[in-house]
Amino acid sequence: MIHTWSWIAWLTAALAALSFTRNPLYLAINLLCILIVFLAQHTTAGSSRRAFPMSFYIILVLIAAGFNALMNHFGETVLFSIPGNVPLISGHVTLEAFVYGAINGLVLTGMFAAFSSLNEALPIRSLIRLIPRAFYPVAVVTSIALTYVPTTLRQFDQVREAQKMRGHRLRGLRDWLPLIMPLFIMGLERALQLAEAMTARGLASSQPASGSSRLKLSMLGGLALLPTGWLLSLHRYTLGIVIILIGFAAIVTALWIAGKATPHTNYQHEPWQIGNIPVLLGAAIVAGGYLFASSQHILYYTTYPRLEIPAFDPWIGLISLGLVTPAFVILLQKN
Amino acid sequence: MKNHLLSFAIYLLTTSLGIFSFLYPFFLPDLVQSSPENQLHASEMPWMITLLLGLCLLVLLYEVQSQAANARIIALLGVLIAINSVLRFIEIAMPGPGGFSPIFFLIILTGYAYGGRFGFLMGALTLLVSAFVTGGVGPWLPYQMFTAGWIGMSAPLCRAPARLLGFYQKRHEVFLLCVFGALWGYTYGAIMNLWSWPLIAGPTNQYWAPGVGFAETLRRYAVYYMLTSFAWDTTAALGNIALLLFLGEPILRALRRFQQRFTFLYQPVDRLVGQPAGRPVDQPAILTSPKGRLS
Repeated sequence: MIHTWSWIAWLTAALAALSFTRNPLYLAINLLCILIVFLAQHTTAGSSRRAFPMSFYIILVLIAAGFNALMNHFGETVLFSIPGNVPLISGHVTLEAFVYGAINGLVLTGMFAAFSSLNEALPIRSLIRLIPRAFYPVAVVTSIALTYVPTTLRQFDQVREAQKMRGHRLRGLRDWLPLIMPLFIMGLERALQLAEAMTARGLASSQPASGSSRLKLSMLGGLALLPTGWLLSLHRYTLGIVIILIGFAAIVTALWIAGKATPHTNYQHEPWQIGNIPVLLGAAIVAGGYLFASSQHILYYTTYPRLEIPAFDPWIGLISLGLVTPAFVILLQKN
Repeated sequence: MKNHLLSFAIYLLTTSLGIFSFLYPFFLPDLVQSSPENQLHASEMPWMITLLLGLCLLVLLYEVQSQAANARIIALLGVLIAINSVLRFIEIAMPGPGGFSPIFFLIILTGYAYGGRFGFLMGALTLLVSAFVTGGVGPWLPYQMFTAGWIGMSAPLCRAPARLLGFYQKRHEVFLLCVFGALWGYTYGAIMNLWSWPLIAGPTNQYWAPGVGFAETLRRYAVYYMLTSFAWDTTAALGNIALLLFLGEPILRALRRFQQRFTFLYQPVDRLVGQPAGRPVDQPAILTSPKGRLS
């Protein structure tokens, strides 16, 4: 089992690799690695979810390409022209704009695919566990909601069956009322019972819990520093980034302190296995490598003004392969 | 008093920064053109803004949840969110036309009946839970949560015009909510486009073109919206109207009835000695204020 935090590190690395470059060769390698991870997870887990939605991604790339070609008329290789004075649409449709749009579509596809892999790999309880302790009411509400979703679905089916037996047929929106109202009332009754049960077990506070003023002030200060740093970064980049980091740290620290005040019991510890090390190493190599390459402007590529074959640095290609490590770990564990 | 001021400041700052984050594509081109160094960092902006919005959401959620830390609110929210998530699940299994989605009408109704904070939690957490259920976790989630939270948070704004027109707690208040739902049908789509627009259009050919300023960016967005989203969002707006029109009144009635039923309170027997029978000792802070909103 790959640990939840290892998956988060992998996702961060994948997003960094996808967003730092518009070079289609590197993007293709990244996308391929993500696809392999998805398929490895999907096949070994015997997931009931649908397989990789390839047709959706192809449509996404085509739409992005077509849209960019129609809306942007830069580039030297004219494919055809749209006559007239339609705002933004009329003008030359260029190969460069088409390819640039396709590249943007590829970036979006990669992001979708990375998140799909995460959704495929992590059970819902692991995702809930990621909710910070400071947000325990949110976590409890989320857990209750997730617990009640299957029950509510079952009840929806029961209500539908019962109404069908009475001759009810769905023809228009008005016909949803005999389905929705019983479901809704039953849900509220269940909420009442649950509230009584929770109160009987000691969760009876009726006073709004208010966070300490100091913590709120720290969060406010942190929030104020974020746009300040951002505006400052437009003139003095490093100083701006430092201020953003201070703001970020102020908010995170305040939330961490708020979380420490919340009693917490772990009923199920997630084991840390040796297979996590290559996943974390791979993620670190990809994120670090792309960050360094971006600072050296090695990753830069644009299709404008004339489409050219993108440069390919084998080292960047090799670094990108770090994204595929979860697939190896999953397959090794299976065998 | 101090806590109220701090809470107000948090609401004000997070909402302002949220609006700022959504609108950044409109003023970024001018800023980016101001120096060559800014052009180099232009591609980092979407991530910077996502971080800013995510942190705003966390701080706002922290502030709002502190008002909902009792068993009744937690249970009520949990079950209502489960019902709404099931509606989203059904929508995904049997997609409606265009942008039609059955989840917003319940967010509007709960926000209207129980107040802005409850509405915010209902909107934001519905999107979170349904993302878990349908596998829809992604970089768009903070944007969706924030916007859906705004829908619920702004729903109580309908009460003032309803009172002014003499519609409040009467049959006709649903018509006002229909107008509100229609407005959010378009606004939700227009706001949600903004997170992906800079990524799809591509910064290079948008920002580096000579003469692209605020007005031009706004014009481009208007054309983009009309071409890609207007028809889609029209179905969303019509869907909200239809659902509020057909289901709004009975659901609102049920919500108000349960608002009264949820005012029970358990207390140890020794504390009840000397209290007149049947009198609630300590009303829960939520759901029971005279204005019928979250306190």
